[in-house]
Amino acid sequence: MKEELEAISKQGLDEIASAKTMDELQEVKRNLFGKSSKLSEITKSMGSLTPEMRKEVGMKVSEIRNLFTAKLEAKEQEILESNSVLNAPADLTIPGKKVSGGSIHPIIQMCYDLNDAFASLGFEVFSEDEISSEKYAFDNLNFAPDHPARQTMDTYWLEGTENKNGAERLCLRPHLTGGSVRYLLQHGAPARFVYPGQVFRNEAVDARHERDFFQYEALIVDKDISFSSGIVMIQTILEKVFGRKINVRMREGFFPFVEPGYEIDMECLVCGGKGCKTCNHNGWIEVMPGGVIHPNVLKSANLSPDEWTGFYINIGLDRLVMMRYGVDDIRLLRSSDLRFLRQFN
Amino acid sequence: MKVSLNLIKKYIDLPKELTPEQIARDLTIKTVEVEDVENTAKKFENIVVGKILEISAHPNADKLRVCKVDIGEKEPVQIVCGGSNLYEGEYVVVSKPGAKVVWHGEGEPVEIKAMPMRGVDSYGMICGATEVYLDGYFKPESETEIVDLKGVDCKPGQNVAEIINADDVVIEIDNKSLTNRPDLWGVYGVARELSAIYNVPLKELEKYDLEKGLKKYDVEIVDEKKCARYVGVEIDGIEQKDSPMWMQTVLINSGMKPINAIVDITNYVMIVTGQPMHAFDRTHIDGQKIVVRNAKKDEKLELLDGNNIELGEDDLVICDIHSPLCLAGIRGGIKDSVLPETTGVLLEIANFEASTIRRSEKKFDEKTDAGIRYEKGIDTERVDQGVNLALALVKELFPNSKIVAYADEYKAKTERAKIDVTKEFLDVRLGTVIEQKEIERILTKLGYNVNFENGVYHVVAPTWRSTGDVSLRDDVMGDIARIIGYDNFTEKPLPIKVEHAVIQNNVLLERRIREYLSFRCGFDEVITYPWVEDKYIDAAGLDREKMVKLATPPSPDMAYLRSSLIPGLLDSIAKNLRYFDDFKIYELTQVYEKGEYHESSGDETLPVHKKMLAGCIVGKNAYEILYELKGVLEGISSYCHMEDIELTVGEKPAWADINAHMNIVKDGEVIGSMGLLSIKTMLETKIKHTNAVLFELNVEKLVPYTSRTNEYKHLPQLPLIEKDLSILVDEATPWEQIRSTIAPHVNEVIFVEEYRGGQVPEGKKSIMLKMKIENNETTMTSEEINKIIDKIVKALYYKIGAALREE
Repeated sequence: MKEELEAISKQGLDEIASAKTMDELQEVKRNLFGKSSKLSEITKSMGSLTPEMRKEVGMKVSEIRNLFTAKLEAKEQEILESNSVLNAPADLTIPGKKVSGGSIHPIIQMCYDLNDAFASLGFEVFSEDEISSEKYAFDNLNFAPDHPARQTMDTYWLEGTENKNGAERLCLRPHLTGGSVRYLLQHGAPARFVYPGQVFRNEAVDARHERDFFQYEALIVDKDISFSSGIVMIQTILEKVFGRKINVRMREGFFPFVEPGYEIDMECLVCGGKGCKTCNHNGWIEVMPGGVIHPNVLKSANLSPDEWTGFYINIGLDRLVMMRYGVDDIRLLRSSDLRFLRQFN
Repeated sequence: MKVSLNLIKKYIDLPKELTPEQIARDLTIKTVEVEDVENTAKKFENIVVGKILEISAHPNADKLRVCKVDIGEKEPVQIVCGGSNLYEGEYVVVSKPGAKVVWHGEGEPVEIKAMPMRGVDSYGMICGATEVYLDGYFKPESETEIVDLKGVDCKPGQNVAEIINADDVVIEIDNKSLTNRPDLWGVYGVARELSAIYNVPLKELEKYDLEKGLKKYDVEIVDEKKCARYVGVEIDGIEQKDSPMWMQTVLINSGMKPINAIVDITNYVMIVTGQPMHAFDRTHIDGQKIVVRNAKKDEKLELLDGNNIELGEDDLVICDIHSPLCLAGIRGGIKDSVLPETTGVLLEIANFEASTIRRSEKKFDEKTDAGIRYEKGIDTERVDQGVNLALALVKELFPNSKIVAYADEYKAKTERAKIDVTKEFLDVRLGTVIEQKEIERILTKLGYNVNFENGVYHVVAPTWRSTGDVSLRDDVMGDIARIIGYDNFTEKPLPIKVEHAVIQNNVLLERRIREYLSFRCGFDEVITYPWVEDKYIDAAGLDREKMVKLATPPSPDMAYLRSSLIPGLLDSIAKNLRYFDDFKIYELTQVYEKGEYHESSGDETLPVHKKMLAGCIVGKNAYEILYELKGVLEGISSYCHMEDIELTVGEKPAWADINAHMNIVKDGEVIGSMGLLSIKTMLETKIKHTNAVLFELNVEKLVPYTSRTNEYKHLPQLPLIEKDLSILVDEATPWEQIRSTIAPHVNEVIFVEEYRGGQVPEGKKSIMLKMKIENNETTMTSEEINKIIDKIVKALYYKIGAALREE
C-alpha cells in the first residue's frame, strides 16, 4: 500500500510538472482529484483496513493531496507567467501606429505662445481689420505727408482710392500700429495689449523678404512709466520663444511714431555673439523696433501726452519663427506645402 | 553713406586706443546703424610702383612685350605685358604675386601668381586702372592702356596705397537710419556725434574771409518759400585740372568719382558739410543773372545725365534771364556744365525746400547725392559752412583765382527750436536721475544751448536739428538717453495691477477651433496670400464686381483681394496633390468685400471685412470624405464650447456638387456652407483623380460660451439595452425620417450602415441601425422589450413603408 501511495505521489508530481497549458493542468487536476482518481480509489478501499493502517494511510493520502494542491498552484502561477496573449512573439522593431494629428501653423503657434506669456502680465489680445485708411496707417502716426512709405512703391493701395487722401485713401495695412491707436480710442488708458496680425508691403520677394508677413505688437500706456520698463516686454518675448534668457541690446533707431525709438538686437544664437555669417559678423541680430510712443500718436488717440506715456515694441513673427526652427526661406510659410507644415505638429 | 575716418579725424582727435570696429559699434548703438567697416589700404597689398628699365619683344606673341622692371627689390624682375602705352623709364603699377586684382576690371578679385605667359616667365603683372581699383584716379583712353604714373611723386617698390593716401577706414552707414538726421549727411555732423560720444573737442570748420566791397551778383528769388537762401560766388581764373590726390581719395572713399578740380571741390564740400553746391560755367549764364523760380508750363530741360525732362509748374529751376539751367538741388543741366575750356565759374550754395526737391526727384526719377541731402531738410545756416569751406579750397587749389562778384539772398532763416524740459519729466521718463552737469554736457556737445532754472532746462536746439528733427521735449530726452546709451539704464519691472484676469472669449474660441481642427480632427492649418489668382476666383464662382482690387498688384492676374477663402483653398489643394493623396487643411482669416463699413472710428469708410474659417478634406472616396467633414462640423459646437450650429439643405454654393451641399446655419441665419467640389470646378482648377469636400463659415457669427456650462446627466441605474435592426426602405427615404420615427420610443438611435445591391431589390436600400433602450425602473423582460420593438416596426411600416429585413 505504501509503495502504491509512493508511486501515485511520484506519478502525480510528474504529471503536474509536465503540464504545459492551463488546459493540460486542469486535466491533470481532474486525474489526481477526480472520483475515479487513484487517490479516490484508495480512500474508498480504506474501509477494509485495520484502524492503525487506516489512520496511517489516511494521513499519507491527505499529505499527498496537500502536496498536489501546492504543486498545482505553483504550476498554475508558472504557466500564467510564462504564457503570452500572442501566438507568436511580436516584432518590436515594427513601428508603432501613427498618431493622427494635424498642425497649427507655426506662426500662429508662436503667436499663441506669446499671447500666453503676455496674458500672465495682464495684456489683452487685440485684433483688427486688415484694410485701413491712410489716416490711420500714416497721418495719425506722425508720418510726414510726403514720407516715402506712403508711395505705391511701398504700400498696397486699393484701386480707386490710390489718388485720394487721408480717410478716403485705403490700403492693406502696412503695419499694425495704426490699429493700436484705434484700440486706445476704444478703450482709453491705462492700457496694455498685444496685437498680432498680418501686414502687407509692396516689396520684391526673396528668401528673406515677403510681401505679406506677421507682426506682433505689444503696447503699454500708463502714467509715469520709464522707457527702461519696456525691456521687460522684450525679454518676455525672447525668453518665451527661446526658452532661456537671451542677451539683448537697444540701439538708436528712428521710427516716426516713437521718440526715442530703438532697434532691438539679440545676441546671435548661432555663434553666441562672437560673430558669424548669420549675424554679418557682428554678434547681434536685429529683431524688432521699439520705443516710447510719440506724443503726436497719443494725441491721435485722444490721450494727453502730459498725463500718459507708453512703450511699444513690434516684432516680426515670420523672422522669429525662422530663427526658432532654422527655416531658411520665408516663402515656405505661405506655401501651404504640407511637407513643410507637418514638421510643426 | 560712406564716411572716411581720415576725414572725421580732421575735425576731432579720437582716443588712440579706439579701433574702427569700436567706433562702428558705438555709432550703431548711439547714433546710426553702421553696415560695414572697410580698411581701404588692404586691397592694395602687394600692389607697388614699378619703373620700366628695358622693353624687348616677346618671342611668341606680337602684342606682348617683355619688360625688366625695378620694383624696389634687389634685382629687377621680368614681367610680360600687353599694354599699349609702355615706354622705358615709365613708372607703372605692378601687382606682385599674391596681389588680388580685378581681371580686366570685371568680376571678383583674383590672386596673381608668378607664371609663364606664352612661354616667357612673368613675375606678376603691370596693371590697368580698373584692375587695381585706380579707375577713380586714372582714366585710360583705351582698354589696353596701363596706368602711367607720370607726374606722380613716387618711387619703385612704394605701395600704391601710400601714393594715393588710401590708408583709410571707410565706415558705411545705412542710409535708412539717416532719414531724420539731415545733419549727419555731412562728415562734420558724424564727427560732432563722436565728439559727444567720446567727450572730445570738435574742431571748427575751415573759414574764409571774404573780401570787402565785392561787386554784387544779380540773383532773384521768385518763390521764397521754396528757396530760403541763395549764395552765388563768381570766380575768375579757373583752369582745367585734376584735384590733388588726397581730395580724390576722399571722394572715392566717400563713393564719388573725381571729375576735375572745381567739380571735386563742390562734391568735397557736400561730403564734409552736407551742404550741396553747384558750379556753373559763368559764360553760360545769359544776362549774368540767376533767377530761382518755378518752371513754366511746357518748359524743357536737358540734364547733365542726358535725361530730357518736361518741367511742370511744381518744379523749381535755376534759370538765367532766358531759360532753366538746372533742376534746383537735384541735377545740373547740360548747358551750364563746367567744360575743359571753362575759366570762370559761378558757385551756387543754396537752400531749397525739402518737399519740393523730393517731389521733383520722384517725378523725374532722379536720385542724386544733392537731392538726397536736400530732401531731408537742411538748415539755412549750413550755407555759411559751405561757402567758407568752398572758398578756402578754391584759394588752395587755384591760388591765382579771383572772386569777382558775390550775392547772398537770405529770405528766411531757420528758427532754432526753443523747448522747455522739466527735470521731473526727465527723471520719470528716463527712470533714473541724471546729473544736471551731465545733461548740460551732452546737450552742449550736440550743439544745444542749455539754461537750467528752477527745475526747468530751457533748451535751444541747434539750427541743424531744427528743420523738423527736434521740436519736443521727448526729442531732447531721446538725445540724452541715446548718448548715455539705452543699455546703461537699469531695467525696471512693469507695474502689475491685478484688477481682473484677462478673459476674451472670442479670442479663446478661435484658438479652440484651431485646436479642435488640428489636434482632434487632424487638419493642417495653412496661411495664404490675400490676393488670389483670377483662375481660382472664377473657379470658386465669386463675383469679381463685388471684390476689392489693388492699384498695384503683385502681378496682373492677382489684383483682386479675397472675398472668400475658397479660392486660396483650391490653390492649396492643387499644390499639395503633387505630393499627397489624402489630406485635410484649413485657414482662418479675414476676407473683404466692397461695401461701406465704419470701423470704431466714424471718420473712415472701409470695405466690409469678415473673418472666415474654411477647410477641406481631400480623398478618393467622395462619400467617405463627405460624411467625415459633416462629422467635423457636427462636433465643432460641443468640442469648442459654443452655441450650436446646424446643417440644413439649402442653396448650392457655386463650386459645389449638385447632389452634396448643405448650409451652415446659426439661429436661422445662414453663416456658411459645405459641399463636395463639383466636377466643373475640379476641371477648372486641374484638381484631378481625387475628390474634395469643402466648407466655409463666418467665424464672427459663432457665439462662444462664457464657460463650460453643459448640464450633467445622471448615469442610468441599469445598463441600456441595445438592439440592432435591419430594414428595407425606398431609395429616396432620408435617414432623418427613419430616425425621427424611431426616436420617441427609445433612448437613442444610431446609424450603422447603408447598403444597396446584392439581395436588396432595385429602388430600395437596406439600413442597419442600433437602438439603445433605457431601462430605468425594473429589469425589463424580453417580452416587454419585444413589445417596444413591435411598436417601432409598426411605426416604420405605416409612416415610411419600411419592411423588416430577414436576416
